[in-house]
Amino acid sequence: MRASHFAFFMNLPTIVFLCVVLAYPIVFAGYLSVHRVGLAQLRRGEFPFNGWENYGRVFEDPLFWIGIKNTLLFSAITVTSEIVLAVAIALLINQAGVWTSRVTRLLILLPYAIPPICNGLIWSFLYSFQFGFLNRILFSLGLIETPINWAGNPDTALYALTVPYIWRTLPFAIILVHAALQGIPRELYEAAAIDGANAWHRFRRITWPLLRQIIAIILILRTAFAFAVFEEILAITQGGPGDATWVAAWYSYKITFAPPSNFGMGSASAFILALMIGLIALVYLRLIYRRVTV
Amino acid sequence: MFKPTPTGKLLLHVANLMVIVFILLPVVAVFIGSIQSEKALQADTRRLLPLEVTLDNFTVILTKGQQRGRIFEQATYLPDNIKSFYAAVTNSTIVAVSVTFLTLLFGSLSAYTIARQRYRWTLFLLQANIVARFVPVIVLMIPLYIVMRSLGQLNSLTGVIVAETGFLLPYAILILAPYFDMIPAELEEAARIDGCTRLGAFLHVVLPLVTPALAGCGVIMFIASWHELLVPLILNARPDFMTLPVIIASLVGDVFVFFNLMMAICLLALLPTVILVALLQRYIVEGLTAGAVKG
Repeated sequence: MRASHFAFFMNLPTIVFLCVVLAYPIVFAGYLSVHRVGLAQLRRGEFPFNGWENYGRVFEDPLFWIGIKNTLLFSAITVTSEIVLAVAIALLINQAGVWTSRVTRLLILLPYAIPPICNGLIWSFLYSFQFGFLNRILFSLGLIETPINWAGNPDTALYALTVPYIWRTLPFAIILVHAALQGIPRELYEAAAIDGANAWHRFRRITWPLLRQIIAIILILRTAFAFAVFEEILAITQGGPGDATWVAAWYSYKITFAPPSNFGMGSASAFILALMIGLIALVYLRLIYRRVTV
Repeated sequence: MFKPTPTGKLLLHVANLMVIVFILLPVVAVFIGSIQSEKALQADTRRLLPLEVTLDNFTVILTKGQQRGRIFEQATYLPDNIKSFYAAVTNSTIVAVSVTFLTLLFGSLSAYTIARQRYRWTLFLLQANIVARFVPVIVLMIPLYIVMRSLGQLNSLTGVIVAETGFLLPYAILILAPYFDMIPAELEEAARIDGCTRLGAFLHVVLPLVTPALAGCGVIMFIASWHELLVPLILNARPDFMTLPVIIASLVGDVFVFFNLMMAICLLALLPTVILVALLQRYIVEGLTAGAVKG
């Protein structure tokens, strides 16, 4: 068999899956987003064309804009915190002579093993106003007199939600930074030490420049995934209190599957989210993946 | 690398302790929440550790509500979904094992050729996979729901397996491709000179050399599938076809389910992947790193 034919047959299953489960649904979502698709139309199997009406209604919906605003704020907070924490913790577990660093290193992957929906429920127990575990800890330590309503206060709910998400997704970032740290030759640090550079200078002049690439990767990957946050929202606040924690994916989900189910509007809003994430993906492809590969 | 001063070392210990406390906080919460009764949680809302420890939460889940134990004696209502716990475990296992097998099978076929044969279309396929990894599941779920509904494939494990395999396959390829890239092509050439077919060289020479990669990628796929909520949540509404995350998500709106029972079922659901991660940590770290940075 010729090499090119062989390559084609080896890739056939992948191509079929990509077309059936990814490409076709995206095109179909685009189709749905310009048609009227409610439960009645779904039963009849006919979707009347309605042009840009779904997009118009989505853009006129204040909840959609609240969702977009919250998604951007949520992503900005989680991604920034994750990068700062990942660099700090990766440097920490990279310390050879400190035994507690070895303990931390053993535990780093634990959050990665927790199902997101369980993580959400566990934090809803931690955050519970009346029965919450976090308030119990603070009471026991004598730090608070009255319970704090972590996720039930519209002013703090979105910030409260960032913590469980950071907790669950931080291991990925730490692992990448730690792998990059281990790739930095020791000689660089030794030479710097001979030249009299202190710890800050060594970090600023050697570590940081060599970490920039991996940090760019984390920044892009984590932003794209944070844009689609769903499980923690469902488990802890369901968008509430009021509309304080509506995010883009939650909006699409509710509009589509909560009565009165509007699949057209749901597709339109999901399509907008996909376009936002698609832009991030293109940046990743152009700026980073190519440079690493070639 | 550099010997820290005694004060520096103390600061490092303190920093480590803070990280460890942060990592363990939810784990301690789920454990302590699951070993007490609703009454105990409600009686003293400031108490950290339970006055008495009970395993009734686990008993009631593991016996499908048959054995209620002391703390559920007077309970007249128990959610049906709690009773289908075993069905959910079976479904989750079937789905996760199938998805792992399929993504590894198709993923390695693809990753090998993408790494070996540089045509314009294989490069395009690689880029398509990179972009595909970013597509948010919610965008795909709305059309997939309508397609599956019209095909009569709602409430079937096959639908969930096909969908999850499709979503995860690009990621599997990105994880595996760098490993195949590292295998010297001379090995296959030698095998081919000895009369091996292309497929034979791949199966007998290359594949055995990348077993660590297959282990890492496989466990990452299993975990991703075990954790997946949106796909089965949208496709499967009947209790017999729900997976564990769906059962757990269904407790969210149920005002009659209290934290003790929720924490117990969460603890049972997170155990398998925690054990996997503990056993295969090294492979997972390698796989995650390879999937994000090629080379």
